[in-house]
Amino acid sequence: MELIQKEEHSNTPIARASAKCWQSTWGMLGPYFERTTGQPLHAGLKVRLQVYPQFHEAYGFSWIITDIDPTFTLGDMARRRQEIIRQLKEEGVFDLQKELTLPLFSLNIAVISSQSAAGYGDFVNQLSDSPYDFHTQLFPAIMQGEQVEESIVNALNAIYNVCADQQTLAFDCVVIIRGGGATADLSGFDALKLAENVAQFPIPIITGIGHDRDESILDMVSHTRVKTPTAAAQLLISHMDSTSQRIDTCGERINTFFSLLKTREEARIEKIASYLSPLVFHLLEREQHKLEMLEQRAKALDPALLLKRGYSITLHNGHLLRNAAEVEPGTELETRLEQGTIISIVK
Amino acid sequence: MTYEESLKQLEDIVRQMEAGNYSIDQLAEKLTQAQQLITQCKEKLYKTDSEIKKILEKR
Repeated sequence: MELIQKEEHSNTPIARASAKCWQSTWGMLGPYFERTTGQPLHAGLKVRLQVYPQFHEAYGFSWIITDIDPTFTLGDMARRRQEIIRQLKEEGVFDLQKELTLPLFSLNIAVISSQSAAGYGDFVNQLSDSPYDFHTQLFPAIMQGEQVEESIVNALNAIYNVCADQQTLAFDCVVIIRGGGATADLSGFDALKLAENVAQFPIPIITGIGHDRDESILDMVSHTRVKTPTAAAQLLISHMDSTSQRIDTCGERINTFFSLLKTREEARIEKIASYLSPLVFHLLEREQHKLEMLEQRAKALDPALLLKRGYSITLHNGHLLRNAAEVEPGTELETRLEQGTIISIVK
Repeated sequence: MTYEESLKQLEDIVRQMEAGNYSIDQLAEKLTQAQQLITQCKEKLYKTDSEIKKILEKR
């Protein structure tokens, strides 16, 4: 391997040396390093090595490695993570995803995963076994090794382009999943460019990249972080469950509200209806009473009653005669009695 | 005519009747009108009820 020291904040090498490790030594150091740091030794890592110099006539000068200090690398990784986090916060993008809301109906899902991953199959199966009509579209990406960053960023761009083509947010959320396979090498998820792309993505991103250790930076900047692809599917299903629950509750509330309203309005109509007929009968009775009174008064005035009591009525030319001075001798008068009429001449 | 308008008209008829503002000649006519309004209101109420049930069942 080649050991390089670079200038601070740039990629310019300022020192360079060749180093070697015997197979038998690396057989112990390699797994120890990988176990402690969570990743195999690869280009770009900062390491602290115990070495001794050796000069070989044919191969030249090199450092021979006898021991490695993984905690140094771990410390450097943590420092770099902190640096990325600080930079994201400084750019004001760290919490951008948290401000997005997962749509009530998150049914159209863009999935970033490796196509062959067992986790991807589980995720898709779990969604299709649910009662909801989920649609998933895979945007394949390499989820392990050094190409992770580039590959996920490309997949995000592809998703963005689909949305731009349709001029709408074609997906309700993006799910980045990785499941099964070898021990987690998560260093690829602790990358600045990837974090910036995820943080500023306009659609909520859910991560399920399967690991138990500390959150990766990708997890931190995403909208929601779950541990596994299965948990991601479960999250989407529960989200739909709660949406459906909300709809059901509203339906029940409408039902209850309307039965109350119906009862109230029925009572209102019934009350008016029950007034009506007694009111009409009362009015009719009152009129009838009035009529009876009039009838009695009319009866009392009936001249037949007077005739019966012995009075008589005298008429002249069909008109009532009230004054004797009104007639002259020789005039013919008609007198009505209770029974019969007398015609007489005035003397 | 809306439900509220029908109901208002119905209440109005009853009020006028109570106040004795109708002649005997008008009484039968007003009573018929009131009964029609009652039927209308009830029909509207039951129709809305069954419509709501239908809408909720569609889910």
